[in-house]
Formats: sequence, C-alpha cells, structure tokens
Amino acid sequence: MNLDDYLITEEPYYSSTHNEIQLFEAAYANRMPMMLKGPTGCGKTRFVEYMAWKLKKPLITVSCHEDMTASDLVGRYLLDAEGTVWHDGPLTLAVRHGAICYLDEIVEARQDTSVVIHSLTDDRRMLSLEKKNEVIKANKDFQVVISYNPGYQSVLKDLKESTKQRFGAIDFDYPKAEDEAKIISHESGIDNKIAAKLVQISERSRNLKGHGLDEGASTRMLIYAAQLISKGIPLEEACEVALVLPITDDLDIRNALSSAIEACA
Amino acid sequence: MNVTTTRGKHAISSQPQEPAQEPGDPDERLVFLINEGKLLFPNEYYPLWETACNKLSHAGYGALIPLSYARHSPKLVKILNPEAAINLAATVSLAAIKVNRAAAELLPKAAVVAAHELKSTQAFSSWVTTIEEIIYHASESLLAVLERTQKIVTTLTPDQFKSWVLTGLRSTGDDALRQISYFSFIDPESEKWFRHEAGDVVFTDLDRRLKLYLISLWSLRPPIRDLPASTSPLSLRRISISNGVVRVPEVFPGFHDVQAERIFRAGLAHVGAHLAYSTTIFPLGELKPIQVALVSLLEDARVEHLAMQSFPGLRKLWQPFHVAKPSGPKLVPLLLTRLARALIDKEYKDKDGWVQKGRDMFFDPQNDMTDSAMCRKIGVLLGNDLGQLRAQFNAKTYVVEPAYRDDNMGLWDFGDQQGQEEDNDGIFIEAMRMDREEKDDDSQDSEQEKNENTDDEQQYHARESTDSEQRESEVAVRYPEYDYLTGSERPNWTCVLEYFPDFGDAYKIERFLEKHNNLVNRITNLIQTAKVSLPERLHHQSVGESLDIDACINAVISRRMGDTPDPRIYSTTERKHRDLSVLVLLDISNSTNDKVKTADTSVLELELQATSLLAYAMSELDDPFAIAAFCSDGKEDVHYYRIKDFNSPYDATARAHLAGLQGKLSTRMGAAMRHATRDLVDQRTHRRLLLVISDGEPSDIDVDDQQYLVEDARKVVRSISRLGIDTFCVGLDAGGDNYLHKIFGRKNVAVIDKLEHLPEKLPMLYLRLTA
Repeated sequence: MNLDDYLITEEPYYSSTHNEIQLFEAAYANRMPMMLKGPTGCGKTRFVEYMAWKLKKPLITVSCHEDMTASDLVGRYLLDAEGTVWHDGPLTLAVRHGAICYLDEIVEARQDTSVVIHSLTDDRRMLSLEKKNEVIKANKDFQVVISYNPGYQSVLKDLKESTKQRFGAIDFDYPKAEDEAKIISHESGIDNKIAAKLVQISERSRNLKGHGLDEGASTRMLIYAAQLISKGIPLEEACEVALVLPITDDLDIRNALSSAIEACA
Repeated sequence: MNVTTTRGKHAISSQPQEPAQEPGDPDERLVFLINEGKLLFPNEYYPLWETACNKLSHAGYGALIPLSYARHSPKLVKILNPEAAINLAATVSLAAIKVNRAAAELLPKAAVVAAHELKSTQAFSSWVTTIEEIIYHASESLLAVLERTQKIVTTLTPDQFKSWVLTGLRSTGDDALRQISYFSFIDPESEKWFRHEAGDVVFTDLDRRLKLYLISLWSLRPPIRDLPASTSPLSLRRISISNGVVRVPEVFPGFHDVQAERIFRAGLAHVGAHLAYSTTIFPLGELKPIQVALVSLLEDARVEHLAMQSFPGLRKLWQPFHVAKPSGPKLVPLLLTRLARALIDKEYKDKDGWVQKGRDMFFDPQNDMTDSAMCRKIGVLLGNDLGQLRAQFNAKTYVVEPAYRDDNMGLWDFGDQQGQEEDNDGIFIEAMRMDREEKDDDSQDSEQEKNENTDDEQQYHARESTDSEQRESEVAVRYPEYDYLTGSERPNWTCVLEYFPDFGDAYKIERFLEKHNNLVNRITNLIQTAKVSLPERLHHQSVGESLDIDACINAVISRRMGDTPDPRIYSTTERKHRDLSVLVLLDISNSTNDKVKTADTSVLELELQATSLLAYAMSELDDPFAIAAFCSDGKEDVHYYRIKDFNSPYDATARAHLAGLQGKLSTRMGAAMRHATRDLVDQRTHRRLLLVISDGEPSDIDVDDQQYLVEDARKVVRSISRLGIDTFCVGLDAGGDNYLHKIFGRKNVAVIDKLEHLPEKLPMLYLRLTA
C-alpha cells in the first residue's frame, strides 16, 4: 500500500523557538518515540507536520478521544459478502508501511488503549494483532509521536508511568513575544505593530490562567484575531470574537478580560 | 415588660419634653393629650380619633402605648391627613398583640419620622403595609426595624424598603434569630442588600471581576477587602493601601451603575499602578502636610504615567475623572486638582504659573520616571512655592481628588511613631486616626447590638425552649448517655443546648481562601472530575442508544458460523451521580486553643481553615452539607453551635459564624454526635456521613473516669451506623489512635500528624472518602 496521500508536499510555516528541530531530527535518527508537551495552540501539531515534511516521511495523525478503543487504532475485521476482511487501523498502517504516527492528545484515550503502543515504543518495535494472529515488525521509517497537554485534566487523567517512560519529550510553550508577533503577522498578514499589541493582550489572558481560565489565549487564537483584523474588523471587536468569547462563559472573567484589552488598546 | 424605647444607637431621639402643664399621672395625661388633639383634628375626624385613643387605652396594652399614640399621631394630620393618623391605631394595636409593647409604643413615633421623610399619603401607607408585613412574618424584628426608621426612610423608597424586607424574610426563613440579625444590620448580608436596594453599586457586586482585572493586567493578587459603608463619614472615603492590604469603600456615593463600575475599576487600576511601580516608601522626615500631599499627588501621576506606557487604554479610564477647570479661586485643594489634571491630560491648558511650573518640572525629559525620588524633589519645591504664596492648606479637611485615587497612606513611612500618631497633623495620619475611630465605632456598635440581640434572644428562647428552665439558647434537648459499667443507657442524662453562634470576621475566611489560591484551584479541579464523573461508555449491552461495532461483527460472525449470536450488541453511556450528605462536627474545646508549634497558629485556627476549604469543596460539589461545632461544660450544658444547616446557603453569614468560633470548655463527644444525628437522619440521600473533627479524647469537667465518655461515644457511633449513617473522624491528636480507633473503628479514623497540613488534607480526604 502506498502512503503517498500522507506525505506533506508543501513546506508548513514553522518558526523555531529553540533547538527543537535539531532535537527531533536526532531522535528520529534513532526512531526514538517522542512526546510533545505544551499548552493547546502553541504549535505542537504544526511542528510535527513540519518535521514530517523536512524528513520526507508520511504522517498519520490520530486524534484521540475517550471513546477510542484499541481496535480503532490497530484495526478490525469487517464483513463483506464473502466473509470477514481485516482492515488495518491507522497505527498498523504506519507500522507496516513506515510513517510517523502522531497520536494527538493521547491522555484523552483510555489507558487500556494507550497500552497497545507499548510494544512499539521499546526495543521490540513490533505490533501484535491478536485477532488476526499476526505479528508485524515495524518498518524502519516508523516512529511514534504523541502530544500531551499537562493541563488541568491531568489530575485524574494521566498517562501511565509505564507509558510515560517510553518517550523522550520536548517541551513547548508560547513563543517569546517578538517571535510570537512575527508568527502572527506571517500567518495573518497584519503588520508587526498590531501583532505586537495582540501578543501584549494575550499576556493579559495568560495571566488569568489558574484564576478561572484553564488556559490563556493561544498563539492559534491570536492568529485568528489577527486574521479578523486583516479583514477590517477593529482590534477590540476582533479580540472579543477570537480571544474572549470562545475561552470562557464566566461573565466576570469576560468583563475583566475585555477591560484589560481595552487598557492595552 | 420593660418599655424604654430608646435602646440602641439608632434609636430615634426623644421628642422635646411635653409642656409643663402636662399632668404626671398617666391616665390624666392621656385625657390631656386627647384634649390637645382637638385643636389639631378637623371637627368631623376628631371623634374617630378620640375613639381610637380610647380603644387603645382600654385594650389592656398598658398606659404607655395609648400615650405614645395620642402624643405622636396628631402630627400626622399636618404632614399627611387625619385618616393616616386614625388608621395608624389599627397597626399599633396589631403590633401590641403580635409583637410586644415596646415595639407598639415606638411605632407612632417612628411613623411620624417616616411621614416627615416620605411626605405623600401613598408612600406612607406603603410604609405601613411593609411594617405590617414585618409584624406578621418577622415579629421579633419589628423593634429593630423601627429603631432604624430614620436610616431606612432617608435612604430607601417605600418600594425599596419593602423589597429589602422581603429579601430579609426570604434569606432568613423562619429563623427568628437570623431575622433579628438581618434587620438590625448585624448580618453582613443585610447592609449589602440595603445598599443594593438603594441603587448603589456595591463593591462586592464587582469584587470578583475587578480582582480578575488586576490579575490580568499585572498578575497582582493583593488582598482586597471592603470597608463597610455604614460607619465612616461619606465625604472622606477613599481607597487605601496599607501593609499590602487594599481596602475599598463599599460604595462611592453618587456614582451609579456604569459610572460606579468605572470608578471602582479606575481605583483598582490605580492601586495596581502603585503596586507595580511604587517601589519605595517615602520617609516622612520634616515634610509639611502640603508637601506630603504634593509628593503623593506627583507619585500618583508618575505611576499612572508608567502604567499608561504599557497600557495606553488606561488613559481613557482615568482621564474622565479629572474635571478640574483652569479658573476659579486659587485655593490649595483646587490648585492641586488642577495640577493633577495637568499631569494626565495633554490637552488641558492652565495659565496658572504654579500649575505650569509643576507640569514642566514633572515632564522634564531629564527626569527618570522610573524613580520615585523625582516626586519627592518636585513636591518639596512646589510645596515651598505654595508656602510663599501664603496659600492656606488644611490637612484635616483635605481629601484626595479625583475620587478614584487612593489616600496614599501606604506611600509613607511614619517611622516608629505608632504611639504618637494622634499628636500629629497630616492627612495620612488623619486618615489613620479616622480609620481607628471607625473601628472603635464599629466595635461599640456591634457590642451594643449584640446586647440588644441577647435581650431579644432571651425573649425568644424563653418561649422556644423545650426545657422548663429559661436558657440563653435556642433549643435544649436531653439525651441518654451510655454507662459501660452498668451496660445500659441512662435516659435524659445530658442536655444539649443550641447556642446562637457569634459573628466573626467572614473576611478572614475569604482572605485565607484567596491566599491559598493554588490549593483552592487544585481542589476545584479535583471537584470537577469528581462531580462530572465523566460519562462512561458501556460496551456489550443488551440495550443502548448505539451499536457496538465490535460486538455486531462478532454476532454476525457467530451467525455465519452457525452459532447462536450474542444479542448484546449495543453500547450506551452512563453517568454516575453523587448522592451524599455530610454533617461536619467540629470540636472546639479549650484544648483547640493550643498553638501548633510548627505553624504558629492554634489548632482551632487550622480547624477553621480546613473547614472553610472543605466547605468550599462541598458547596462546589453541590453535596448537601451542614456544619456544627460543639464543646461542653458538664452534662447539663453541652454547647452546640449551628454554623450552617442543610437547607441554608453557605453564605457570608455562615462564614461569619464559622470565623466567630472560639475554643472553650470540654469535649463531650457522644452527646454532640447524638444531637448532630438528628439532622442527618432527615436527609434523603443514599449516603449520609457524620464527619467529626476532634483534637482530643472525650472528657468533661464532671467526669473522672476517662473510659466513660469514650465508651459512650463508641456506643453512639454504633447506634448511628444502625441508622445507615457513616461516621468518620479526623483526629488532630498524634497520639490519638488508641481511643479514636476504639470509638470509630480502625478504618474510620484518619489521624493527621502534621497539623499544619490539615487545611490541605481535609478536602482531599473528603474527596477520597466520598468518591
């Protein structure tokens, strides 16, 4: 089977903040399973796409959810007129044909589900399909990457210790103010000055993290706001739409945020 | 019955003494007053009024009520009309029957005060209707309300008054003690609602959003508390920062709705600017008051200037409050407001040389804006200039303008003059002194009100008590006690008395929660997961709303293989529900006053902190819960304090009660648990939990045998568990395993060895216990 559909052909925009590109390349050279940590919307997914493009490997992304079962990852028998047919799941596909398998928000998946990657993430590098009675040796290009948001839900929902210890990790955070402004203005086309203002506004919202907000405004949200501004929406309104309303339903927090944005404007 | 009516601070001042010719004998005096009335009433109404007077005097209410009516009601004729005066008799009579003589006697006098203020007949009759409402539903509180007539009618319209009363009735339920505390403004909720009805925007309405605003702008979380509006003179009220505590007036009089929110926001933004940029404290040194005022003003301008560099939008918030005009008499306070405006408003033009000089010096490009020393330098010079102009400055009457700016007390180091503050003149010290006077007033007030309250309470208890004796408590219930030596219970052996808990400082609890924000957040998160109990997907079900794809495939495979397929091919989601009520019983015996060595607080303090966190967790979880405390003084006097009942909200009153607890007396645990069980039994939840927090072995002054009370408590726990109620004990005595295990059973005890961790551990323990 051909994984060409999973290849990323155009270079995704990614602005490096530290030496994460170098780190990832070194990890990939050893096919070391990687864990990308960081708050939502800070560029983890974009980074994986960029690395897949750079390494010229297909990228199979699975968004994990709490109802996901192991068969959703590994594959299952389906029925047709003749009888049962095995269908590879996304993970099996990546293992067989050599792709980077990116499991987004792995903590969301139930713990018994995330255990299926254990045999792939140590030196065995194999996947056993019990139902099919088959053992697959991983393709030489195969690598597991997971993303993990050590946010608030992690008190009760956390990765098993045995899962955690199979990964190397890169920590992501929102880029530094100047870098973030640069990213925003690149993605939206607004000028650097307004982008810098947006970054200052985001700081106001990130200050509220832990005081009613689980996360402050992410880079992604700032880009949305900037895109609205580039289409002629006034700054304060764009911020309201992209940065305040989506993030909270608490009237007091909304009010505090809106007023703080007013103070920045 | 004692009928002096001028109890309490707010009592209406007595009218001037009646003319000398008034006879001394009450009966004669009444006749005299009725005759006097002839002059005031129109002819056709006089007989009606006369009949009303006579009716009151023959009804057996005593002499004072008809006298008071005959003396005061004629005044209503002039203010309103004769009907109002005559109709009032019915209400007075009602009050005499339903309430008591003291209130009935005060009513005519209060009615005159109300009529004076309300002026219209309609408004007055609305006032009377509300008073009748109180007579019917909160009779015990009538006196308290009448005594405060002046305050009420000058602030609230009759409709607002009615609304405030209804709020009080609703929030206090049928609890006469809570009603009294509401209507005599002891209950903090009362003043708040009063202000709310008066249309003022109260700081507590905005409290949360403004705190979030400060966090958002500067990541600042200073402790903020409001100054009660009732006590201090309105004209001099400003925000004040001292020792890092920000105190905000509850209202800014004259600012309504949006304007009120703006001024609170402007004020807190100004406070934020100070906290962010006022890094040094000025020594007072030899500065004159005017110089102090000027340096403060310049420092205000400096921090605002710096804040506006980061947040240009703040200018829009602050500048509209600067409304000084570049004209008018050259009085120092006016010049100061002009200078303040000149320093913030670029467009403002002022021809006054002094103002211009101040502006030029302030904006001199050579100044280092980040250093507050410049303010001192310029302030001293400008102060000297004013001195040379011989402009008068009265530090005592000076108030910082515009109103959003703080009193700048926190900027100055008064050295170690704590003792001599009173001898100094200066606005800041003045402010300090006012502050203290306020506090003194406060305490006197509450003292007085407390006394009143106990009086009222006593009346109340005398009737309510199920005990034949007259007690100071609300309810007295007798319980048996188990004697292990005879192996039987002695009936009616102990007496549990419910006492009305004192009001403490509810802020103490809020401050604690604020300070331990991290902990609160952690608990909140745990709670969210505990509460929502994430939906669980159940596979392989015989009924359900969706097909379980794997089960379906297996079923079809089985069918093709000729087996019987498993019919359980559905999946469904299910949520778990919490169904649990808890009563937390606190031991507040004398030993809880002991200091915990490592934490420098008393055991009781830690108990209260832990309970406040726990209560926070429980209220967030929507678990029905109650809090009570106990201590004992012999078998006949086991004190039981209801801090919060199952059906009452966990509000400021409950927190004030919690904060007001004091450690005293002994620990007769069994009796208290028996009493607590009475409430818990009525709860209709699947699980019921009695959570006892105790620091020591059960003991009492009239018991020598240590074993006795332990055995009794053990007996109680066993009988409680037969009712389907779980008990759990948190022991605060590191060596307490022994007897606690004996009483509660090994599994149902958690002994906290490091007491300073109690506030953190208790909510966690609770969540684990109830998961």
